[in-house]
Amino acid sequence: MIEVRELFPGITLRCCRDPRFKQGCLSLQMVRLMTGEEAAMNALLPTVLLRGSRLHPDLRSITRRLDELYGASVGAQVRRVGDYQTTGFYCGFMDDRFAMPGDRVMEPMAAFLKELLLDPLLEDGVFSPDYVAGEKKNLISTIQAERNDKQIYAMSRLLKSMCREDSFGLPRLGEVSQVEAITPQSLHAHWQKILKTSPINLFYVGSQETDRVAQLLRGMFRDMERDCRSLPPQSPFKPCPGGDQAETMDVAQGKLCMGFTTPITNRDSQFAAMQVFNVIYGSGMTSKLFMNVREKRSLCYSIGSGYYSTKGIVTVSAGIDFDKEEETRQEILRQLEICKQGEISNQELEAAKQALYSSLRATNDSPGAIESYYSTAVLSGLGMDPEAYLAAVAAVTREQVVAAAQSVTLHSTYFLKGESL
Amino acid sequence: MTYVSYPELDEGVWRETLENGLTVMVVPRKGFTKKLAYFVTDFGSIHGDFTLEGKTYHAPYGVAHYLEHKMFDMPGGRDVSQEFADLGASVNAFTSYDMTAYYFGCTEGFRDCLRLLLEFVSTPYFTQESVDKERGIIDQEIGMNEDAPDTRVFENLMRCLYKEHLIREPILGTRETIREITPQVLEVCHKAFYTPGNMMLCVLGDVDPEEVADLAREVLGTEKRPVGQKLRPWKEDLSAGQALVTDRMEVVMPTFQMAFKCQPLGNGEAAIRGEMVADLAAEALFGESSPLYLKLYEQGLLDSSFGGGFETIDGAAMLMCSGDSMDPEAVRDAIVREGQRIVAEGIPEDDFLAMKRSALGRRIRGLDSFDSTCFRLCAYHMSQFDYFGFPEVYRKIQAQELVDFLAQAVCPERCSLSIVYPKEETK
Repeated sequence: MIEVRELFPGITLRCCRDPRFKQGCLSLQMVRLMTGEEAAMNALLPTVLLRGSRLHPDLRSITRRLDELYGASVGAQVRRVGDYQTTGFYCGFMDDRFAMPGDRVMEPMAAFLKELLLDPLLEDGVFSPDYVAGEKKNLISTIQAERNDKQIYAMSRLLKSMCREDSFGLPRLGEVSQVEAITPQSLHAHWQKILKTSPINLFYVGSQETDRVAQLLRGMFRDMERDCRSLPPQSPFKPCPGGDQAETMDVAQGKLCMGFTTPITNRDSQFAAMQVFNVIYGSGMTSKLFMNVREKRSLCYSIGSGYYSTKGIVTVSAGIDFDKEEETRQEILRQLEICKQGEISNQELEAAKQALYSSLRATNDSPGAIESYYSTAVLSGLGMDPEAYLAAVAAVTREQVVAAAQSVTLHSTYFLKGESL
Repeated sequence: MTYVSYPELDEGVWRETLENGLTVMVVPRKGFTKKLAYFVTDFGSIHGDFTLEGKTYHAPYGVAHYLEHKMFDMPGGRDVSQEFADLGASVNAFTSYDMTAYYFGCTEGFRDCLRLLLEFVSTPYFTQESVDKERGIIDQEIGMNEDAPDTRVFENLMRCLYKEHLIREPILGTRETIREITPQVLEVCHKAFYTPGNMMLCVLGDVDPEEVADLAREVLGTEKRPVGQKLRPWKEDLSAGQALVTDRMEVVMPTFQMAFKCQPLGNGEAAIRGEMVADLAAEALFGESSPLYLKLYEQGLLDSSFGGGFETIDGAAMLMCSGDSMDPEAVRDAIVREGQRIVAEGIPEDDFLAMKRSALGRRIRGLDSFDSTCFRLCAYHMSQFDYFGFPEVYRKIQAQELVDFLAQAVCPERCSLSIVYPKEETK
């Protein structure tokens, strides 16, 4: 159901034609390697482009244009997918059939996207110093605001230390010092460079025919001078010695994060089994961690595991009382051991599979979920659409889940605790 | 059941009020695999004071949320979450100031899931042991909220803006009040408010509407039972209790939330029109395309974390906004001045039409979301309005109504500002 069109070398359009939705979505991603040098610029670029184009030179004229397009939205989209970082835009807009007679939304939206990307407001040949300064400030506060959500903060501290040899340890939006170093000149040069050299992925979900969308978007890139460089494939976690860390802050609740590694990534045949293991172990309200650490022993309010499948990293995080750290840590490890010993009931196996089926089946019911699944799958190396993925999950046996569990080893831990202790 | 279609929105709704008083709504979504069901009671954290069968009750703060947690217990050691998981569905619930909702999403086994939802929400089963055990979990949840700047800044604001309304109390209650909650308290609240006459069932998906209604009759019975009478023990005028409240936490930039207290809206089409007028007025005052927001954004006084709108709950209404800013008091002053400017100068007709078109388009796009559509259908139904009637309401609204609203609402006496500053020693 996804149709692919190569518009120009390195510029690929994927279309999901679906008349059920009341809105369309169109995303554009320039794909880069995740590096310390570029991360901050890639994060900043779309926000500066969204401040003004030559024809719509300020926020007021941009938002007014979007209002006229029936409340369409266009936002900066910066993603990390394994070793890659993408930078670009995500547009959401009402389907043409609800517009007033004779009005269109999709076509002017695509034209507006082109304008924002390729025809920015320039001052003395570079981006507006005011806009760059303003967005730098915003990006810095976004990066710093991570500290406000202690769960996210704790997890990023864990990953940073655990992945110090791997690009996965780099902060997704760059470091504050790197943002500070950006100038209107350097950002403008970066814009020119990545427009020319990056693979560009376009994704459309909505009621229009693929050929029509392709024709519309081909016009967008017709005159661009391109020299597209292909990217190296995704790589698994680059090992380094692990360790335990703790940090003190004025908080009421402690956050315990544990990081594990597995050689199984989403490129492996054992991937589906690893996903099933993750659900049984720590995802959702029926997982071993939830049922035992929270329900049975009341050690925490929140607990869950996650599987970063492009890298082969499994994480567990829990919100706990400060004095429960050791007990919680032991219980989390004990539940993993139980999985490794094969103590997984048929009911747990089936429920985990059902949960994965449900989320995979529901992927096709929302434009955002469709965009997110396919846009990241094509980059992460996951070579399966939701149907194939579902079939792979269905074929997973208990032995395979146990084998997946046995591949998981503890690497590092991080504990955020209060000052009172 | 009766079917009403809304061709302009490409939507339709099956509706029926059952003999037991339950309202059932089914929105058919042909071609979608997902099914979503909301089973909602018109009972939230502010409704702990009520009478039932001649007796008056004052339940401790936090009782509605506690009850939500404990509804998942079933006799015979049955585990509701597990049973949903076995069916491949996920179940969850939330408690707000004025409603409690239980919901599941599934792609298969809809009938079994719906039966289970109706069953567990209508089955009170509270043992001393499990009620005691839950306290540890809710303590942790309270702890999590204490560390969340956005929750803290909001709860401080409510205590500052309101003098008596129970919106002053956290939805979760406090570590002290939840210690007063017993199985008996939960039973009385369940009896008073988890009765079909006080509830509604709303389903979105490709399902048979008659089957939904039949199942609700079968599980809940046909008997109409008495509903608790809410006491709403507050007298609240329109002036703010206190203009400013500040706090310090581990945050990087000052974060704020402010609100103007507004006249509560009541029910029916007039109320919904009032709400949509207020929503548009909020757009005109500080929405993403408003002159004020753009000016403050360009000055660096606000960033994209800023947002706002009009909020209504039972007995309260507020024009509110929140965000991060180096100078929240300057933001407040600018908003008050801008309100006065709009009232003096009016809203240009072009701007007004663009705003209406934008608001309508965004609501239409929002219909793609199962969750928000289901939630809105329920919430608006409780205000006795058919949500899918919104395009007609928008068409009738005039620019002057927005100006009149702002003239009433935006004045310093009605305004409170809550700020959480970074701790001084934070680098």
